[in-house]
Amino acid sequence: MRPKTVTAPGRRCFTSGARDRAAVGVCFFSSSVVFTPTAAALFVATGVGLFYYFRYEKQKLLEQRQKEFESRSVGRAHVGGPFTLTTHENKPFSDKDLLGKWNFVYFGFTNCPDICPAELDKIGSVMTSLEQNYGIIFQPVFISVDPARDSVSQMKTYLSDFHPRIIGLTGDYATVKTTCKAYRVYFSTPPDADPKDDYLVDHSIYVYLMDPNGQFVEAFGQSSTPDEVVERVKKEISEFEKETGRKV
Amino acid sequence: MGWFSRSSSEQSPAATRQDRQKCWESRDQYFECLDGVGVLTAGEEGTACTKSKFQYEKNCAKSWIDYFNKRRVLAEKQKDMLAQSQLQSQEVKRKL
Repeated sequence: MRPKTVTAPGRRCFTSGARDRAAVGVCFFSSSVVFTPTAAALFVATGVGLFYYFRYEKQKLLEQRQKEFESRSVGRAHVGGPFTLTTHENKPFSDKDLLGKWNFVYFGFTNCPDICPAELDKIGSVMTSLEQNYGIIFQPVFISVDPARDSVSQMKTYLSDFHPRIIGLTGDYATVKTTCKAYRVYFSTPPDADPKDDYLVDHSIYVYLMDPNGQFVEAFGQSSTPDEVVERVKKEISEFEKETGRKV
Repeated sequence: MGWFSRSSSEQSPAATRQDRQKCWESRDQYFECLDGVGVLTAGEEGTACTKSKFQYEKNCAKSWIDYFNKRRVLAEKQKDMLAQSQLQSQEVKRKL
């Protein structure tokens, strides 16, 4: 290679002498031209800038992930809402009373042929099993969709056949309707039902699991067995504990 | 059963666990009898099963009787549908 053709200050190019088809040139920049103080300053500034930028982005990502983790209701249906009904002991009970406990909420009526008793027995069996491990941190609630016939005394008599901790809730038609709407529960009782009539109420059949913050967690259908419910609840409690450090 | 013999001017109290159990048992006996004579829809058995039918109607509320009878027919129909769909899925598997 023929050495040195100075083409620009600080730039030295070596080109092959012969008129090759492939004229190859190799250029070197003199280090004293490239590595100036300005260039160095620019280099450092870019580096620092990038460092801070990436740190900021990472922080943002972490925050977002934290937020998503905290709001476990992401991806969950908006079930539940405010209500005030009367218990089978004739005391007021509102949605605020769901806080601080893991709740099993079931909608039914006392004149139910077989499904409601089966579901209430399922809740009872789930409660017995879970309370052995966790103690009394669960609250089963039975809300009537038949306000015409399910008076406070009727609820009390009915519930004496089931797990002692099940709380029966009843109220007037309007309140029952609002509560059912909040829980997305369908029910067929008309507003003017005659309590002396013999009729059945068609209604959605789900046991709703609500967490200690009053948030909806899961709806268990008729086909879910007590064991399946227990497993799911255990899983949810451990998730809750991971986030809050408490079981309830 | 005091549960049903009340006059219509009073609301009947809700069934107890025992009441329900009694109703279910008499229902099951009646339905077994119907199976015996090959009848699906209650009421079509003519003079057979009158004894168990009487017990059934005595121990269960009318709304419950209607509900159980309808469900019996529905369950049978669903069984047919299930069997059919299973057959279909088996055929498809064979073809694949």
